Amino acid sequence: MAMRQTPLTCSGHTRPVVDLAFSGITPYGYFLISACKDGKPMLRQGDTGDWIGTFLGHKGAVWGATLNKDATKAATAAADFTAKVWDAVSGDELMTLAHKHIVKTVDFTQDSNYLLTGGQDKLLRIYDLNKPEAEPKEISGHTSGIKKALWCSEDKQILSADDKTVRLWDHATMTEVKSLNFNMSVSSMEYIPEGEILVITYGRSIAFHSAVSLEPIKSFEAPATINSASLHPEKEFLVAGGEDFKLYKYDYNSGEELESYKGHFGPIHCVRFSPDGELYASGSEDGTLRLWQTVVGKTYGLWKCVLPEEDSGELAKPKIGFPETAEEELEEIASENSDSIYSSTPEVKA
Amino acid sequence: MQSLPIIPVPVPVLRLPRGPDGFSRGFAPDGRRTILRPEVGEGRIQDPPESQEQRARAVLRERYLRSLLAMVGHPVSFTLHEGVHVTAQFGATDLDVANFYVSQLQTPIGVQAEALLRCSDIISYSFKL
Repeated sequence: MAMRQTPLTCSGHTRPVVDLAFSGITPYGYFLISACKDGKPMLRQGDTGDWIGTFLGHKGAVWGATLNKDATKAATAAADFTAKVWDAVSGDELMTLAHKHIVKTVDFTQDSNYLLTGGQDKLLRIYDLNKPEAEPKEISGHTSGIKKALWCSEDKQILSADDKTVRLWDHATMTEVKSLNFNMSVSSMEYIPEGEILVITYGRSIAFHSAVSLEPIKSFEAPATINSASLHPEKEFLVAGGEDFKLYKYDYNSGEELESYKGHFGPIHCVRFSPDGELYASGSEDGTLRLWQTVVGKTYGLWKCVLPEEDSGELAKPKIGFPETAEEELEEIASENSDSIYSSTPEVKA
Repeated sequence: MQSLPIIPVPVPVLRLPRGPDGFSRGFAPDGRRTILRPEVGEGRIQDPPESQEQRARAVLRERYLRSLLAMVGHPVSFTLHEGVHVTAQFGATDLDVANFYVSQLQTPIGVQAEALLRCSDIISYSFKL
């Protein structure tokens, strides 16, 4: 039986979802945080998409969000010139870190003792979370606003991206080790510790580099401008999404396009594989977060593979059919209006 | 006999992901992960006032949902931000009342056949029964 992908739509946000991050796998499963222009980052159970709570406190759009490995802390970067650290169990705000400009990105070290931030003031800041009153260490050198900053190489180095440059920094000496220049704006970065791989998206390209030396490994070209890409933990697949509302799935080794899915009603801003690789999440200009199966039809989370002989009869059909019907109706509605509703790019709107 | 094209079957799902409940920030105090923190010696909450509030909320919630049902198919006048007023025929709302699906949306620049209105953009709305 041929199976068709059924994305799970996570409701709650009312503005574009611009960033998302998974925690590591914990005794309670894994978790997903989403950053949204509505200023209300949300925590969800990773495998089901069930809402757990909303982090309330930011007074502007939230541009970046992340969880530490065991999902006990969350960090957010916002347009109100602050980054915040939260208790991800209780939802309480733990720390507010004032900046001089919009903050775009946050990242915890593996041990959760330090927080890296970057933003429009072109400075990387490193906060010691055990010394809340201390001034952060600062790294200057970027010539444009910082879009993404990540710890790498077991927190000994930092990767950061501004408009068209990716830089590798040494944490101990606070100096630049190497940089990459692109002829187009870098839209996103992802760091994969296993294998020290850096995923960079720019224009229609999805490039893979060594995170240690920044040497190129390979690159793919997508049919449309790509805003975000993610590599499967087993490095079998990659998924990417961008301006054409579609999600693309490629075989990492051969470069073959395996699948593509429409379902979002607006450009896709971010896409990430879950830590177990069973699903990937996408956030979009349409204000929704969606979960997609890596292996379509496998029983996992809320997805259930029902074989023909397992069908219990008439009663089961309406329940099974309802979400899909609702989804199709919404797609039909959106397809008529998508041009007028989403005609301008997120950059113009922002 | 000509073979029929194979139509892919959508993967069934057990249910939809649960969204925000609309009036709390979540992080249930009795959630699974609260054992990660030292126990707080809170006094026992009195049952009567809490259950009263819960019943009141349930009544208000039901009234609101019934008002949405009554609105279906009717022209509704919406007051939006920046002094904008629009009229449309109400169709449906999503699970957590985040968006209203409307048709024949009469806007200052023309009629939109189908549209979604974000509820957070709506200040108030009214309709005639």
